[in-house]
Amino acid sequence: MREYWVILRAELFGLFISPATYVASFYFLSLLAIGFRFFIEGFATTDWILPPLASLVVGLVFGSPALIPFLTMRSFAEERRLGTLETMMSAPVGSVSLVFGKWSASYLFFLLICGFAFCFPALLLFLFPEQGESLGFTRYEQWIGGWLFLMVFGASFTSVGIFASSVTNNQMVAGMLSFTLLTLYLSLMAFSFGETSSPDSIDSLTDFWNASVGSIGNGLDKLQHFSVGLVDAGTILHQIIFTLFFLSLATLQVERLNH
Amino acid sequence: MSSESKPLPIVEVLNLRKKYGAIQALKGISFSIGKGEIVGFLGPNGAGKSTTLRILSGLIPADSGEAKVCGVDLAEEEGEVRRHIGYLAENNPLPEDLRVIEYLNFRARLKGLEGSRKRERIKIVLDICDLERKVSERKIGNLSKGFRQRVGIADSLLAEPRLVILDEPTIGLDPRQSAVTRKMMERLRGEVSFLLSSHILSEVEACCDRMIILSHGQIVAEGTLRQLQEEFINKTIFEIVADGNRMELQRAIRAIDENCELIQDDPVEVTGKRRFTFSTDQGEEVAEKILRRLLGIEQFKITEFQITRPDLETIFLRATKKNWEDQDHLGRKKKRPVLVGEASR
Repeated sequence: MREYWVILRAELFGLFISPATYVASFYFLSLLAIGFRFFIEGFATTDWILPPLASLVVGLVFGSPALIPFLTMRSFAEERRLGTLETMMSAPVGSVSLVFGKWSASYLFFLLICGFAFCFPALLLFLFPEQGESLGFTRYEQWIGGWLFLMVFGASFTSVGIFASSVTNNQMVAGMLSFTLLTLYLSLMAFSFGETSSPDSIDSLTDFWNASVGSIGNGLDKLQHFSVGLVDAGTILHQIIFTLFFLSLATLQVERLNH
Repeated sequence: MSSESKPLPIVEVLNLRKKYGAIQALKGISFSIGKGEIVGFLGPNGAGKSTTLRILSGLIPADSGEAKVCGVDLAEEEGEVRRHIGYLAENNPLPEDLRVIEYLNFRARLKGLEGSRKRERIKIVLDICDLERKVSERKIGNLSKGFRQRVGIADSLLAEPRLVILDEPTIGLDPRQSAVTRKMMERLRGEVSFLLSSHILSEVEACCDRMIILSHGQIVAEGTLRQLQEEFINKTIFEIVADGNRMELQRAIRAIDENCELIQDDPVEVTGKRRFTFSTDQGEEVAEKILRRLLGIEQFKITEFQITRPDLETIFLRATKKNWEDQDHLGRKKKRPVLVGEASR
């Protein structure tokens, strides 16, 4: 456990001193802020059915293929390129601690950026309380639900990035692989939007499949619940399994590299 | 010393084997290293040196055999073994964007050092490796190869290891930087055991107590320099710087030892004399007898005479030559061609 904290600390430090992280975060937050501003301005004329705060969550989720590769691509690919993975493993460190330490650092950084993004509606509420209230920014269940949604999906997205970084020693390849996998994942969610199956009526193979893959296929449908403060435990469980699956693959890859 | 009071060896390796696909990298090697010993691991490229060092560092597992470091079995408690060793990998990979002090702090924490003990150990290793304050504040990516190597060695010494494994520690270093590494090992001689692999034979000769020569995954020679000299070169070699005809000199020498062989004849610059190298299997006494006789013959005008011992390079080449000729590129024994006469028998 001690080595996990040491690695987490060092990785966070590495992210904080990396110019690429700042550049990516700045552009990401700037674009998100612009998008959020225009969405709020034109909200009255849209047929958006979710609370306005959910638009920020959707922006963060669909923007993550552009952000997460910057946070994760360096973690293993750079170590493999420099050969420092071997030096790391010569210390009393297990590959599980190493993978989880690196993942936790990028995950925390992702949450930090989400925290900054959540400052936009908070600032709006602070500066224009009446408009903020009319947009539902005073309803804390929406904040908590949105934040939980980002937490569970952020965990699985960063685990995909960590896995992509562990399979190559080229940062660019790791970044592109991570971008591709996340885009595919989001496409799957976007295309299956509105096809939610009820777990009460599993009477065909398709229903069984839909119920099993759960939030992997219908994550966006679940956002409807989270955005109004309804926490879906199944989605959280599915995303935890998804995260552990990719982190296990990354751990196996690190083990394989050492043998 | 009785067997009961004899200290346990720091490293005990028994019949270690490792295979990479079709290539048998280690073919059952066995050796041990005592406390405070500096052992040099020699061998041509692909001999299995790095594989052995990586197995002993707990980085890769062996296929079979037994390896114990500080009495701890590597196969059972690989993580525990890593607490007792310091390891410097070949080419010494280091993160480029960290400062030396930041890197050592990170490595110290990773090795379980905290608080005042961590600060104290970092101070000690910076001193041992001659990394003064100015260098410790610099980014690793901006350091010269020599300083980077010192950072790697400082890291390997951080957790007060009982065994330090250095894979090619002086590769690419200038003589001054190599001397710093040697000085560091001299300073820790007796306290810490060192196992180092190197291609620079003069260096191994200068700082190691014992050498292990590996070829094609097998130990072909092991012992102190003196033991290896006796085992592989059992002839006495002497050099004479003299005037005169080679044939006459040879005739004069053969009058005392008829099996004495001239193995080299080189001109000596400026003086116009020649340097003759002879070998005899009659020992040093005969060489001295030859000197006395030659001094009595005026025409040779001898200005130099010295009995030379074979260096490690000669021993290395002799030790690996036979094994090298016997193996093919995959490390398998070559089939000996059957002679016509043998086939008919």
